[in-house]
Amino acid sequence: MNSTTATFRPPNPNPNLIKFKPNSHPTHMTSPTVTKKLNHLVTEFKTLHQPIDRVKKLLHYASLLPEFNQSRKIESNRVTGCTTQVWIDATINDVNGMSFHADSDSEITKGFCYCLIWLLDGADGREVVEFRIDDLEEMNVGILPVRASSRVNTWHNVLISMQNRTRDLMLMQKYGGDNNV
Amino acid sequence: MFDEIQKVNNGSKLVYLDNAATSQKPSVVIDALNEYYRSYNSNVHRGIHFLSARATDEYEMARKKVAAFVNAPESSEIVFTRNATEAINLVAYSWGISNLKPGDEIVVTIAEHHSAIVPWQLLSEKTGAVLKFVSLTEDEVPDTKMLQELLSKKTKLVVVHHVSNVLASVLPIRDIAKWAHDVGAKILVDACQSVPHMVVDVQNLGVDFLVASSHKMCGPTGVGFLYGKSELLESMPPFLGGGEMIKDVFLDHSTYADPPSRFEAGTPAIGEAIGLGAAIDYLSEIGMQKIHDYEVELANYLYEKLHTIPGVRIYGPAPSQTVHRAALCSFNVEGLHPTDLATFLDQQHGVAIRSGHHCAQPLHRYLGINASARASLYFYNTKEDVDDFIRGLVDTVGFFSSFK
Repeated sequence: MNSTTATFRPPNPNPNLIKFKPNSHPTHMTSPTVTKKLNHLVTEFKTLHQPIDRVKKLLHYASLLPEFNQSRKIESNRVTGCTTQVWIDATINDVNGMSFHADSDSEITKGFCYCLIWLLDGADGREVVEFRIDDLEEMNVGILPVRASSRVNTWHNVLISMQNRTRDLMLMQKYGGDNNV
Repeated sequence: MFDEIQKVNNGSKLVYLDNAATSQKPSVVIDALNEYYRSYNSNVHRGIHFLSARATDEYEMARKKVAAFVNAPESSEIVFTRNATEAINLVAYSWGISNLKPGDEIVVTIAEHHSAIVPWQLLSEKTGAVLKFVSLTEDEVPDTKMLQELLSKKTKLVVVHHVSNVLASVLPIRDIAKWAHDVGAKILVDACQSVPHMVVDVQNLGVDFLVASSHKMCGPTGVGFLYGKSELLESMPPFLGGGEMIKDVFLDHSTYADPPSRFEAGTPAIGEAIGLGAAIDYLSEIGMQKIHDYEVELANYLYEKLHTIPGVRIYGPAPSQTVHRAALCSFNVEGLHPTDLATFLDQQHGVAIRSGHHCAQPLHRYLGINASARASLYFYNTKEDVDDFIRGLVDTVGFFSSFK
């Protein structure tokens, strides 16, 4: 079964959260490339000088993460190596466009997932695979260097998981198989 | 002691409460490392020149200091390893493979660190030995009665922690060693959370093997040690081959050095071992009993303060006149993920605590949780640090509650 490229439209945000700094929301950008999206996200986080504001921003994004299909919380969708529990579901359409859904038991992690999905949802599979974790470092969310592979580095583990799923799906697309892994 | 580390936190106060993961290092330890590399850097045991002799003297002096610190009868009963994990693996691969056969049993508690579980799983796969697990009592301490009941003539090894890195409970090692010996078994004690915090006397405890790591006791990373009774170490084959662990090497066979050299293949962590010696001098000067008494007071203060916060669930036994907890609390706050909590405490309050499973996933599963937060103290922490942590925690809980 081939899926269509999902447009990532967040549900109505929690009004309490949106009160805080209703920055121009990234989803309002029109057909931006992954690079443009990344620049937007980096700029957005760079303008937040206080750690608490960056945490608030992530919580805001966590509240926008679409509800995850509970039946997809299966072992093969679990991102391993995180201190939090994270699930990623990925699909690919006929023209290699990727679609992702995610959930976590941690609100901050959900915020990370929202950002990653916003960056890569709808992108070509090759773009997803070629995306470099180092590019996220400038966002300065948390004091951990993003490039470090670590149990607590959700950015890293979730991105790697998205890229691995994408590779698998692209191979299946090429050689046949289920387009949802 | 923390001048440089505080700079990392932009000069504002940093409350470091992740001491069960690793401790901070006093200047004397850093100076000892610096001195080795600047003044007498050389390989040990091999050279006849002055520098090598000096390095060898200092390295072997560090071994003597470790032996005295845990009251080992002989310094040759101390093997330097990379860390406690390697020390446990050394026993598993050397003693374990030589002594275990199918059907033999290893008794382990579910509260062990992964480093004291996984090596025995690997050993079981190789030998056919069976792992038997001790669970917890209602008070959330390893059930020593169950441990006693699991012991039989089949038991060949008992593996227990001295102090739990999650539950803060303290096991009666002397009793457990006696029970193990009564059925002819050996006992290995993971003392990573006790050696840095209290007087540990291997002779008084009557243990066969004991492991600890340097970095949790003010020493450098990259070095740990194994204490093993001399008759056991002498009977054990090498773990790794090469370097200083040989007597003679021929093309078709080799003969091996006596312990501890037999188990120290390759160039050891010389400077780090010397640094560990300096850490032991530092701790000994303060006094381990004094450190322990102060930490018991801190432990009670931490528990009582944390206990008063609504929605907080602390794991492990409640302190009492008879139950002394280590100076750490693993806990969860209802409706709040420990990683979110730890992130906010770090970012907003400069309080460093740990979140996750603390290398104790089986224990977390038993407790019905995926993760917990952990605040762990050392002798350089104060009640003011605990107050800062509690204030930060109350603020954190309030912050996340406001978004619900």
